[in-house]
Amino acid sequence: MELFNEPIITIRGLKKSFGTKKVLKEINLDVYKGQIIGYIGPNGAGKSTTVKIMLGLIEDYEGEIKILGQDISNGDVEYKSKIGYVPETAEIYDNLTGREYLTFIGELYGLDYDEVDEKAQKLMDLFGLKNVYDSRISSYSKGMRQKVLIISSLLNNPDILFLDEPLSGMDANSVMVFKEVLAELASQGKTIFYSSHIMEVVEKISNRIILINDGQIVADGSFDELKGKSIEGSLEEIFNELTGFKEHKDIAEEIVSIVQGV
Amino acid sequence: MKDFKILKFLDKLKGLFENLGVDYFVMRRILQVKLTLDERRVPTVTMNSSSKKKKGNRFVGSLLVYILLGCILIPFVISQNNYLFQMSFLFGILIFMMFTTLVSDFSSVLLDLRDKDIILSKPVDDKTLNVAKIIHILIYMFYVTFSFTGPALIVSLFKNGFLFFILFLIEIILMDFFIVVLTALLYLLILKFFDGEKLKDIINYVQIILTVTLSIGYQLIGRLFDFSDIMNINFVPKWWQYLIPSMWFAGPFELIIKNNRNFHIVLFSILAFIIPILSIIIYIKLTPYFESNLQKLNNSSGNMKVRGKGLNYYLSKVICRTKDERTFFRFATNMMKKERKFKLQVYPSLGLALAFPFIFLLSDLKAQGWDAIAISKRYFNIYFIALIVPTVIMTMGHSDKYKGAWIYKAVSFKGTKDIFRGTIKAFIANFLLPMYIFQSIIFMLIFKGSILLDLIIVFLNILLFIVICFRVSKTALPFSEPFDTVNQGKGLAIIPLFLILLILAGIHYGATLLTYGRYINIAILVILNIIIWSKGFNISMEKLSQ
Repeated sequence: MELFNEPIITIRGLKKSFGTKKVLKEINLDVYKGQIIGYIGPNGAGKSTTVKIMLGLIEDYEGEIKILGQDISNGDVEYKSKIGYVPETAEIYDNLTGREYLTFIGELYGLDYDEVDEKAQKLMDLFGLKNVYDSRISSYSKGMRQKVLIISSLLNNPDILFLDEPLSGMDANSVMVFKEVLAELASQGKTIFYSSHIMEVVEKISNRIILINDGQIVADGSFDELKGKSIEGSLEEIFNELTGFKEHKDIAEEIVSIVQGV
Repeated sequence: MKDFKILKFLDKLKGLFENLGVDYFVMRRILQVKLTLDERRVPTVTMNSSSKKKKGNRFVGSLLVYILLGCILIPFVISQNNYLFQMSFLFGILIFMMFTTLVSDFSSVLLDLRDKDIILSKPVDDKTLNVAKIIHILIYMFYVTFSFTGPALIVSLFKNGFLFFILFLIEIILMDFFIVVLTALLYLLILKFFDGEKLKDIINYVQIILTVTLSIGYQLIGRLFDFSDIMNINFVPKWWQYLIPSMWFAGPFELIIKNNRNFHIVLFSILAFIIPILSIIIYIKLTPYFESNLQKLNNSSGNMKVRGKGLNYYLSKVICRTKDERTFFRFATNMMKKERKFKLQVYPSLGLALAFPFIFLLSDLKAQGWDAIAISKRYFNIYFIALIVPTVIMTMGHSDKYKGAWIYKAVSFKGTKDIFRGTIKAFIANFLLPMYIFQSIIFMLIFKGSILLDLIIVFLNILLFIVICFRVSKTALPFSEPFDTVNQGKGLAIIPLFLILLILAGIHYGATLLTYGRYINIAILVILNIIIWSKGFNISMEKLSQ
């Protein structure tokens, strides 16, 4: 199949430490066009760090990363114009209005003001935010901000999307629309890197799941492949098994007993 | 988003930026967004003024304050005796002002982590963003510096001639570069050893120092005008003077205007030009390193000490009567000591309240001497400590994180009595009492111990005054409203409050004229305090939510 010939992202021997703490121990990864990758792992496993390194937000790593054929450490930032990013911490200049923020982001991508404005307006409309386009983002609810972030990541028609917990705060209807959008984008050959803690969503939308624990990849494959290797049924249970977490029942019992003790 | 004039000015320098390898269009766009964001932000200097100005005019307002303050620089350029002294004084003041302004108002620009996530994840290179940041800060620094030095600059043009004016202008620009770069390097150093929380604390204290300096500065402007005596001292160069930046900047005036070719003058002049340029080069080399340490701003983990219940806990056991009251005593203590915005609002007035009784006493001392003071009734100056009471009572209801106040609604309280009483006791125990004891000790020394009864009366009066202030001002549950509404119409409410204090002090004064008057005064105040402290805090929840 033509789609799967050339990897769009290659990571070889990626290591990263903050001070003495090793966050990424050894990551090797090939990502192909059209894949929706569910990138999962416990808190502090190194998910966001991997994504930030790929975006050039964290430097001084060991190993080699190629995105769209370009080694990202060569100082040329051009590859970022093909990437869309929804960060985990919903950082945003919230004293700007929706219009001001989105046109600004579009222009950073090198797009023309009128072009972005039109595109952003249409997308805001489709996400049900038409009447707040000229209100300050600080007045938006959490879900509305999240939608603005998602729109901002799509303005440049990216080939690769990095989504870090993109659905937080969004209502069920918008989630449904967005999941459909992701599937559609992937079928057009876009690559989506999706990190989340909500296993049901990851299980449903991803066609490849990568589980990272303690700075290493501990599982890689489609959901069915993971299920084949494991005795457990749902992704949540596989997650628990692979990250070596078995005591959830005991901990839960203890919590309840402390709660009732007061 | 509007197009700023300053950006049109920058357009003329487009070629220069492009030669540096900066993407000019992107940089301009970033600056436009940043300037728009700033317009929607409040600077420190005018934060305490009660006049609500339209958005965008706030910055202009604070520039007027700087122009006014800048008048203190005029005497330094008028006298032409010794440029080295005059100008190093001037640059000393200037550097202090610009440094504190930079730290208090523009730290957020230097330390903004959002920039990284939002802008660098797009096809924008580090250099463009960093240059945009520096230009952004410099734009403001130039506005502020030229407002502050404006009066002196204009005077110098007429008084000292064109050459002096141009030299002054160039040096101010160099100094701005120097200050911005120095501050950035300072942050780099702090972040190397400490985490972000520590840095934020340091910035907070600089903001407080700035506000106190400005307030006391107003009082001192008048007294600064007879500086001319000091100017005539003969100058003998010492090695450590080469380390003082203001001396460097003073050098060229002696060298060029007065043609003074002394070795130290030449050396100062060279330093004045070399160091700023050198610091810019060092900064550019070190920026990548700075950026990686900047990441630590988000880490507050550090080394958290495991603490026990602390003094706070035992204090609350002694001071408070009910359980709810104790809870709010501890809560309020933590909030008052830790919330930076609250500290910024209240701590400057704490400093003033600590200083005022002594400032007024000092001017009396000058006029009358120690012995005359000791038998006089000048200890009434200690009443000035009560200046903080209205400020604190009015700020108490506010918080930067006011949204956390949903907790009041989620938990059912029988009444608000314990909430308010606990909070106010926390203020007394943590701030008022330590300050009052400190002042009392010094007053006892000055007045030779004969004023113990009076000090007790003053304290009882202040306790009474606290409850009166509380009842008179519009009350909100502690830490439950945003800071924006703090000053609405409340500034005027302070004046009648001080009349009440004046009456209380007047009764006290009357009592000192009678035999046993002080004892009667104390007895009455104790009874009044018992009544008012047990009845004065009953405010129904319904009345509050209006």
